[in-house]
Amino acid sequence: MGLTSESDAKEAMKLCMFDLRRGQTEGQELDKILFFYPADLPITNQLSVIGLSEGLITFTRIFSPDAPCEVIEAEKHCHVFYEVEADIWMVMVVEKENPESIWRVDALRSVLKEIHSLFVMFHGYIRALVDKEPSGGLVRSHLYYFIMDFLSDFSIGKKLQLPNFRDSLKEQGTLQMLTVGREAAIEVQSLVTLLESCVGNKQCYSMTMFQDLLVSTNLSPIDTLNLFTYAVLRLTPIALFRGASAWSSLRKTDTACSTYAGALQVTSISAIDQYYNSHDPPSLRRHNYPLVRPLQHSKWSKGKDGFLTTDIWGTEVNSLLPMCPTIWLHLTEEKMFLLAYQHRGLTVILLVPVSSVSGDQGISMLKQQIIENASLKMLKVEEKLSRGWGGENAYHVSGYRYLLVDGDRYVSRASPPGKVTTLTKESLVALSKLREEVDLEKARAKWDNSGREKDIEICIRAKNNSWLIARLVRGKELYMVLEKGSETLLFAADATEKFSERYCNGAFSLD
Amino acid sequence: MTGELSSSALSCSSGSNALSHVYIQYPPLRCNVPGSRSLFYDDSNKLILSLTPTQVFSWKIATYNPYAAPSSDRISEGPVLSIRYSLDLKLLAIQRSSQEIQIWNKDTGDTFSQKCRSESESILGFFWTDCPTCEIVFVKTSGLDMYTYGTESRNLQLVQTKKLSISWYIYTHESRLVLLASGMQCKSFTGFQLSSAGIIRLPKFEMVMAKPEANSNPILAAEDVHIITVYGRIYCLQFDKVAMLLRSYRFYRDAVVQQGSLPAYSDRIAVSVVDNVLLVHQAEAKVVIVYDIYADSQVPISAPLPLCLRGYSRANVAASHTSTKTSEASESKNLSDTEETTYGDQWQFLVPDLVLDVSNGSLWKISMDLEGISASSSEVQLILEFLQRRKLDAEKAKQLSLAIVRTIILERKPVPMVARAMDVLLAAYSQAIKTGSYYKRSITEEISPSNAPNAAVGETITGIDVSRSINQEPESVTRNDSSKRSIMDGSIEKTETGDLLEPGLLGGEDLPTGHSQTLGPTNNQLNSSASQRNQSQVTSSAATSPADFYNYVFSPTVEEMMGDGSYLTAIIVDFLRSCSLEKLKVYPNTYVLLVQILARDERYAELGLFIINKIIEPSKEVALQLLDSGRQNQQIRKLGQDILRQLSLHHDYILLLVQDGYYLEALRYARKNKVTTVRPSLFLEAAYVSKDPQHLAAVLRFFSDFIPGFKSSPDHNTYHRFVAELNS
Repeated sequence: MGLTSESDAKEAMKLCMFDLRRGQTEGQELDKILFFYPADLPITNQLSVIGLSEGLITFTRIFSPDAPCEVIEAEKHCHVFYEVEADIWMVMVVEKENPESIWRVDALRSVLKEIHSLFVMFHGYIRALVDKEPSGGLVRSHLYYFIMDFLSDFSIGKKLQLPNFRDSLKEQGTLQMLTVGREAAIEVQSLVTLLESCVGNKQCYSMTMFQDLLVSTNLSPIDTLNLFTYAVLRLTPIALFRGASAWSSLRKTDTACSTYAGALQVTSISAIDQYYNSHDPPSLRRHNYPLVRPLQHSKWSKGKDGFLTTDIWGTEVNSLLPMCPTIWLHLTEEKMFLLAYQHRGLTVILLVPVSSVSGDQGISMLKQQIIENASLKMLKVEEKLSRGWGGENAYHVSGYRYLLVDGDRYVSRASPPGKVTTLTKESLVALSKLREEVDLEKARAKWDNSGREKDIEICIRAKNNSWLIARLVRGKELYMVLEKGSETLLFAADATEKFSERYCNGAFSLD
Repeated sequence: MTGELSSSALSCSSGSNALSHVYIQYPPLRCNVPGSRSLFYDDSNKLILSLTPTQVFSWKIATYNPYAAPSSDRISEGPVLSIRYSLDLKLLAIQRSSQEIQIWNKDTGDTFSQKCRSESESILGFFWTDCPTCEIVFVKTSGLDMYTYGTESRNLQLVQTKKLSISWYIYTHESRLVLLASGMQCKSFTGFQLSSAGIIRLPKFEMVMAKPEANSNPILAAEDVHIITVYGRIYCLQFDKVAMLLRSYRFYRDAVVQQGSLPAYSDRIAVSVVDNVLLVHQAEAKVVIVYDIYADSQVPISAPLPLCLRGYSRANVAASHTSTKTSEASESKNLSDTEETTYGDQWQFLVPDLVLDVSNGSLWKISMDLEGISASSSEVQLILEFLQRRKLDAEKAKQLSLAIVRTIILERKPVPMVARAMDVLLAAYSQAIKTGSYYKRSITEEISPSNAPNAAVGETITGIDVSRSINQEPESVTRNDSSKRSIMDGSIEKTETGDLLEPGLLGGEDLPTGHSQTLGPTNNQLNSSASQRNQSQVTSSAATSPADFYNYVFSPTVEEMMGDGSYLTAIIVDFLRSCSLEKLKVYPNTYVLLVQILARDERYAELGLFIINKIIEPSKEVALQLLDSGRQNQQIRKLGQDILRQLSLHHDYILLLVQDGYYLEALRYARKNKVTTVRPSLFLEAAYVSKDPQHLAAVLRFFSDFIPGFKSSPDHNTYHRFVAELNS
């Protein structure tokens, strides 16, 4: 199987989603495809990618019914599989040709996971959409715009830049949290209760962020993660700034901090839209679905009252007021209104059950109430947080390049990207490989003895004389690169110990 | 007994109205002795004096006890206009006429008479003082004469005179202030404060009086002017009968400032001060209005309600008839009289909180019903502030404060309202901690004869150093300064001392310290007499500690509000905020409670956040609760484990690891931290359960190597056999 010459030049990545329950009779194969990127790839090529994937899934299911094929490593390509919902699969095909194309499969898969969970947050489950309109037009158009908007965040120039070895000190699909003092934490918490009291007796959720970091929330971990991801992409002050200046956002280099420098890549939004217009598959044009594109760029702005507004969800029939955005909660599958209030670095997102508020009038009343009762407190909290914030390099530990992951809580913290770039390519590639190994080990441990977490400790001296360290202790992971260390293993162990004692409450100190 | 049944119903039997915020408690102190001619009140020594032609009976009322027995002294016959003991109770001064005062030395039996020098002047009265330069002051129409009593010469030596013409005067020992009225209308006043700090002359000032019509000028009478001491500040209340206003003036060291006025609804007004609260008796309307003029507010604390007689019932009378056998036949008749004579002409209001019924010689103490006051007010914040300022019945005030907070939580009042209430209480507590009054709960002088009861508390608290240094500050502190201070300063204690000593007139307030440092032998005796009177232990502060909050507010409410975790969480978080604002340590069980609430509602993510942000401070109690709650949730359990490790609770941590099957990790940890308290068999058992012969062998080897004599222990043999079995 190969790529046609014209798409080869442009796109080294293919991404598809297909439904194994559809198109099972010969001649109907096209029906399986829910999404394919690039869309202009000839149908036969699309079908061959999907055919191969389906074949492998069916084959591996024979041996491992619960966990079929996860990845195919070919000489020039790598296929990453992810079953997003029962019988609905996403497959990502990446090339290995390029010197930059050193991938870690788990990182790629987490991109797929992110696409799906965000999609579900806004549109509900894919299976439900498929069932709603068996012809597939509805789900296809939703998926198409959603994933295209999503991918645009990865585009650099004309290429998509997926997470590669340079991101090995980064963990997709985790939260980055602000470390706050006790006093500030209590202050935030009392703001949260104040907001809840504004909503009244109905159960509501809130998420408080400072810059691009999470401060506090009472959402379930999965919902927190989804909403956090979305907020970082589109709602935080930095995201708004990016949107306002019509730059393609560079998730690669500046997700967790506010480095504007380097965002000067020029794929303007209009270019993406043009791309849509010229490349919209003809099948989509026939239908006229009311489309909500939550990931569309430059659609959010801060209103005069401090609330963020967008017309993504359309405008009300009778007025020009934009409709209030809504999302689905993962756990309860409840539809919630999303209200986001922003004051400088502070973003407070409030989720109120749709069922409890009487339309947009209720929303505007609620907003009024929040402004009256809580705006002063938010001002105070913002002041307190910004006073305690160390800036984008707040979590830099000199001498260390690290990544800390708390798998239980989906939280990670890493050296600031600006500092990670000082590492040599060799170190990063080696770390990427190390992580790949650890991922495998983790997966194996999961199968071997369920419920018991395996502790792992690896120290590697790389070719360029840097130390690569991985430690897994009871669900917590620590990865480190020490480039200027001395050559004894003792040094590496000491360095880890010191780091663990000072920054992790001794969580990684074993002996 | 039928009597008993009815007694509770009749417990508030003034008859007219059961609802009342101020009451007098039955039985009164009976101050009549056969042949008694007249009753006097010696406010310096807190004595009620009853005179017979040859004897003076005195009842100590510093600690009010209705069954107190009088002591008596013999006096010579003759007219008595006024009678007062010296502050050391060794001398008795009797004003025999407007020209003569007789002084009798109890120890020696000497009598000495001091007469006016000229016929044109007459003595209006006299009082003993603790001023360093003089001991007794005669107030005469021509001015003040200040004398000391020479123990050698056994007579009075004139120290100083202040010449001015005086129409009448008022003096309270509590304030050490004598106000001298002069002028046609008797509304020009000169004041002196004779305290242990010396004599301070107040600037002359005029009281305001409305005129009924153009040409008539009302004359101010002595009974219309009252000196009151609240929160260690001295005020003067002047009843303006024309305007029907009670004007108040506040005294500072160098100025007298009119403060505003309170309304009067009666032609006869009396005032009392109970626990720094001003009670204005509207005698004809037969109601009391309660004011707490702490923050210069002139709003009454509660609605006007009648004075209530408590504890009187026929059953009581019957009981006292039979049991004590001291009752007179006229007892019940007298009491029904009391009902009729409430606010009658026979009632004399004594400073600060007593009523003497001259007709039958019964002395009543006025008390406040804090419970009633707090129940009748809906302004939670105000009433809590009011309660926190109470010192006389501080324990009651404290319980009431806590009950109020508990009630508003149970009633699910809005969180900000509850938060404000908790802020008030915790701020008061923090203040009490800072000033030390919270720890001084025991052995505080309630009333010592020589100093003001209310100020005594604050004074003993703040200690010698503070008051001294403040005292030594130059007098040039301006009034503006001081009044600003008192307004801005929200704290009771601070304001008291600040105002007392620095700008205000209240040298008297630092008496206890002043005495011990400046005065000679008499002073020591005085102190000893004072200590004799420290009979009751008084809680000096109504402050509620975080532990009290847990015990009396959170713990009970949680049980009643099982289903409302988020509300309670919000309340407790606000409580924590309040605590951290005041830098108070939170009682650890409060955290345990919070963990329980969050875990019960399965709000694990939030709980995790609370732990990580240290909103819930780590402690062993919290860790154990997390472990307990974490049986449903592994992450929560881990948080508990982490706390154990961070707090270096090695033993518990290792046990936990072993329990969870991480016995190798536990061994490593034990080795590193040198923990030897965990039994080897636990590790061995855990290893055996895991069915891994290698691990079991390793554990066995570990103990064999590191524990001397382990090889010969039964554990070793047992598990050695198990290893063999597993291998086979």
